Amino acid sequence: MNNSLLVVVVASGIAYGTPLLYAALGELLAERSGVLNLGVEGMMLVGAVMGFWTVQRLHADAGISLAASIAVAALAGGLMAAIHAFLVITLRASQIVSGLALTIFAGAAGLSSYLGNDLNLADNPARHDFHALFPSSMQNWPLVGPIVFGQNLLVYLSWACVIAVSLYLTRTRPGLNVRAVGESPAAADAMGIDVVKYRYAHTLAGGAFAGVGGATFTLALTPQWVSGITGGAGWIAIALVIFAFWRPELCLVGAYFFGALQALTPELQARDISLGPTELWTNSLPYVMTVVVLVAASASGARRRLGAPASLGSPYVREER
Amino acid sequence: MRIERRLRQPRWLMLVVPAASFLFALVLAGIVLLATGHDPLSTYRQLFDAAFLQAGALGQTLTQATPLAFTGLAAAIAFRMRLFNVGGEGQLYIGTITAAAAGLLLGGSGGPSALVIGAMVIAGCAGGAAWALIPGLLRAFFKTNEIITSLMLNYVAGTLLTYLVFYSESYWRLTTGTNARVFPTSKPLPGSAIWPGLTIHAQGGILLPLGAGIAVLVALILWLLNSRTRFGFEVLVLGDSVRAGRYAGMRVRRKILAVMALSGAVAGLGGASQVGDFAHAIDGDPNGLQKQYYGYTGIVVAALARYNPLAVVVVAFLIGGLQQAGNTLEGADFPSGLVGVLQGIILFSALGGELLVRYRIRFGRRRAVPARGAVA
Amino acid sequence: MPEQIDAVVAMAAPTGAAVAMRGITKRFPGVVANDGIDFEAAPGEVHALLGENGAGKSTLSNILTGLYRPDEGEISLYGEAVRFDSPRDALDAGICMVHQHFRLVEPFSVAENVVLGDHRGEGRSFRLRRGAIEQRVDELSARYGLAVDARARIWQLSVGEQQRVEILKALYRDARILILDEPTAVLTPQEAEVLFGTLREMAAEGRTVIFISHKLHEVMSVADRVTVLRGGRSLGTVLAKESTTHTLAALMVGRELDDASSSGDGAARREPGEMVLELEHVWAAGDRADSAVKGISLSVRAGEIVAVAGVAGNGQRELAETISGVRARSEGAVRLCGRPLRGGDPREAIAAGIAYVPEDRLGTGVAPSLSIASNLVLKSYRARPASRGPLLSLGAIRARALELIARYSIAAPGPAAPARLLSGGNLQKVVLAREFSGLPRLLVAASPTRGLDVGAIETVHAYLRNAAAQGVGVLLISEDLDEILLLADRIVVMYEGAILGEFPSGEADVAELGLLMAGGERGHDAD
Repeated sequence: MNNSLLVVVVASGIAYGTPLLYAALGELLAERSGVLNLGVEGMMLVGAVMGFWTVQRLHADAGISLAASIAVAALAGGLMAAIHAFLVITLRASQIVSGLALTIFAGAAGLSSYLGNDLNLADNPARHDFHALFPSSMQNWPLVGPIVFGQNLLVYLSWACVIAVSLYLTRTRPGLNVRAVGESPAAADAMGIDVVKYRYAHTLAGGAFAGVGGATFTLALTPQWVSGITGGAGWIAIALVIFAFWRPELCLVGAYFFGALQALTPELQARDISLGPTELWTNSLPYVMTVVVLVAASASGARRRLGAPASLGSPYVREER
Repeated sequence: MRIERRLRQPRWLMLVVPAASFLFALVLAGIVLLATGHDPLSTYRQLFDAAFLQAGALGQTLTQATPLAFTGLAAAIAFRMRLFNVGGEGQLYIGTITAAAAGLLLGGSGGPSALVIGAMVIAGCAGGAAWALIPGLLRAFFKTNEIITSLMLNYVAGTLLTYLVFYSESYWRLTTGTNARVFPTSKPLPGSAIWPGLTIHAQGGILLPLGAGIAVLVALILWLLNSRTRFGFEVLVLGDSVRAGRYAGMRVRRKILAVMALSGAVAGLGGASQVGDFAHAIDGDPNGLQKQYYGYTGIVVAALARYNPLAVVVVAFLIGGLQQAGNTLEGADFPSGLVGVLQGIILFSALGGELLVRYRIRFGRRRAVPARGAVA
Repeated sequence: MPEQIDAVVAMAAPTGAAVAMRGITKRFPGVVANDGIDFEAAPGEVHALLGENGAGKSTLSNILTGLYRPDEGEISLYGEAVRFDSPRDALDAGICMVHQHFRLVEPFSVAENVVLGDHRGEGRSFRLRRGAIEQRVDELSARYGLAVDARARIWQLSVGEQQRVEILKALYRDARILILDEPTAVLTPQEAEVLFGTLREMAAEGRTVIFISHKLHEVMSVADRVTVLRGGRSLGTVLAKESTTHTLAALMVGRELDDASSSGDGAARREPGEMVLELEHVWAAGDRADSAVKGISLSVRAGEIVAVAGVAGNGQRELAETISGVRARSEGAVRLCGRPLRGGDPREAIAAGIAYVPEDRLGTGVAPSLSIASNLVLKSYRARPASRGPLLSLGAIRARALELIARYSIAAPGPAAPARLLSGGNLQKVVLAREFSGLPRLLVAASPTRGLDVGAIETVHAYLRNAAAQGVGVLLISEDLDEILLLADRIVVMYEGAILGEFPSGEADVAELGLLMAGGERGHDAD
């Protein structure tokens, strides 16, 4: 049973979906504060390369090495996000153009490859990597074995992050404040909340999460470094946030759904099953569904219940007449 | 310190600031290079040579610059009206598909045929326009955010492109020949569908692709459209103040559709040029056309050119040169990824410089302005 | 501006003012919004701040709540001098304001809005204890009769209920001083009564309630004392029970009661010609789902200037938009020179010969970044000489611009300069030049002289008279009674979407006009 298509796809879906989940959580935080960051792909790649570099160069045992790598990946992602934050929050530049510039700057044809090649990181597997945490006896249990116990620490950590972000947004004051900043910066400002500070903080946090998401590739999934290793995951993460109606729990569902779709194609091929133009719909389904979801939300006027933070994409200027 | 909107934008500022931003970018990138053990000046010299001076460089630069010009123009059209069409990438892909179809259907052996090429142009435009009308319609009628919808459709278009060659026995796939069964290949265009070029005898022979010429023509037409037609006027007004446009009786929905369609058409035309001038077949390889990011880079080109069509062509040429140099120089000696870094820094500096054009930084408290008259 | 009247100033001076503002002056480019104002309010009273739009009430309250800093003057609370650098400082000092445009986050619940940004005591905790907060909000709303469900989302609430949330915010923070800006503008009469009850109760607890309004009968019914502002200055403070609506109205509009005659050459006028505009029982919806125009019937003849008097916010903007096609009407008929108009289509109105000078000069009347020349052809670019077919005739456009600039003496760097560089007066000239050059049959002018200096005002008046002299029907919407009396042949008063009265200008009694504008009953001594 553990080798059935369903189980394999779900288990792989979780694995593939984890970087998406991290990146989406980060982008969700940034967007909740009203900042659209299209540079996710770039931030993930920089996190991937810097995390990998740390694990290769740091001569320590697995635990410390990996912990440090994740920390460095988060820091690297945060630094990239800081550029975007400065440009769009303080200098009030266009959020779209700045995000795209960040992707170009940090992406597969940019900084991440620059660093990776200069530091000679290609061609070697990671010194340590995140492998399955639980003993193989547990992994063999029917159904839950591979799905739940066959995952690595980063997966479990991501679950904790989903819960943390969700609780943060709904049950804490800073969470309330950031949601207010995203929905109505004018109201938040009038109530004494520092809009600029919140936007900076959450954009940087978004970068940190993206960095960790990128490191998931080089430290868990592959685990090697190649230029452009994320393969477009950053863009999927952006779609994922919308698809999940800006809710962390739905990000998890969506990430695994998208991940499962990715896992489906090779598995079907391996089993010689053909479902017609599978590749076409498995690969485009996430995007089409996102569009449908978005249209439904904006058309029905249910927008305010389901939709984007109202101030997403615009800079906030306090009207001082 | 306060940031105040400027009332007047003096001419000299519009020229000095971009130039200063560019220089600033070079300095910043130079620091990055130094910090990682490379010599900035020799690197820049290498780039310039590889882009423009070496034998065959100009021709290769045009290979990059041509699609960038199209996608840049496409972005400029839409962004000028504050319609953020981020879907140029997908509209270009669809343009390649429809133009290739026209070429395969109508073309035959022999030299380039004006009829076939014309059909490819039309097909490319139509495909791109139709793809852009999806987010356009959603925006016009449902007020759905066009950034996200056009972005999503890029992925759908990319998937379609890959599917047509790799995962199906579609019209675009080559099914004859021994190789074709083993490795998915797209059907090459017949001779009459291959776009001619103009050879300039200099530097060892530079090939000026037809697409480049078309791009320049399109830029001129767009420039005229912007500055001399009622359509351009309406777009300008609506981009500045939708309320004023509505008050003046302009039909906003129609404009949204028209501008999106036009933007998509130009991007689709870029797709037609891709198959006609360069690839001579559709490129379904997910690591091929889809990793070139012509569409997204086009947006960057448009932003740097401040959405002016003529400037777009110039900027596309320069950025194309940069891309081309990066491709050529890639190897042990040359830091790969430098192109992206450089482009990114240039863009960041330009964005920061924008601030200085639009706003003024004031220090100190605002002094009270004496009144000229009492409140009525 | 007429000479300032020394108003009735005497009042009972309460001990220990809660709020004392001395010599407050605030200037903006071109305008002195507050000119040496002294204001004080006592604990335990409801103090009304009365005045027309533009009198300076909003500016004064914005200073008190920390949004603006005064150029001169000082503020003290309970005897101690204070300085506010931001809204947060004022909030911390116990001053809360309920604005006309609510500062609420729509997707949030009532409780979430109430507690947002509160950083005293409980507010400093990291965790959001929803249950406890909702309970406290429920308690407050029960105690003060502000019925609203703490768990409901803001977008689900009616406007009146949303206002209660704003008040709950203040009560939650135990505000000592509460300022309300035109609170009844969005309420039904019944809801207004409930509000007044709440305010009286809050005052009885020793809080200070400052109530900004232009509506006389409300002020009379809820306030203890009334301070009247006009033209950026304070005319003094009176006891509500020692005043009548007439005396207050006279103070507000600035005339002695004896000064009955309307100045202005309204009497001797050319004979009005044929019917240009006819409105029959027109209804139109406002921006929120209510009706802003309620069954208006009026007519304008060629050569006639009909003025719609009224304080801003009573449906005038919506009326102007309905006539000019920017807004669709829900009921009734509109006819221009006998021809019925479908409505809802600005192009139809433009083609029919309706010219519209909107209130919002810079955002609607003009596209700010575009050149003056472009703005001058904003409505005429579709036809010759501005364009031939799809192409613009740039030369003709420029020539026309130069001609209009000269003819209307528009002070501008040149036709290519962006419109936003122009001063208010010159901007208005651009708008008027454009509208007149279309040879209209009807000219709708909404607050055309707002914010302009004296010279520009006279110029605009001259244009309006000129237009009438040339046989154009003019519908002038204004809050400035002086202007109306100066120019109008006929005056109608609009209040809360309906027309309360109509007079030929010769018969207009200023005091009565003022009364009607503030919602009073015609011919009654409403108290």
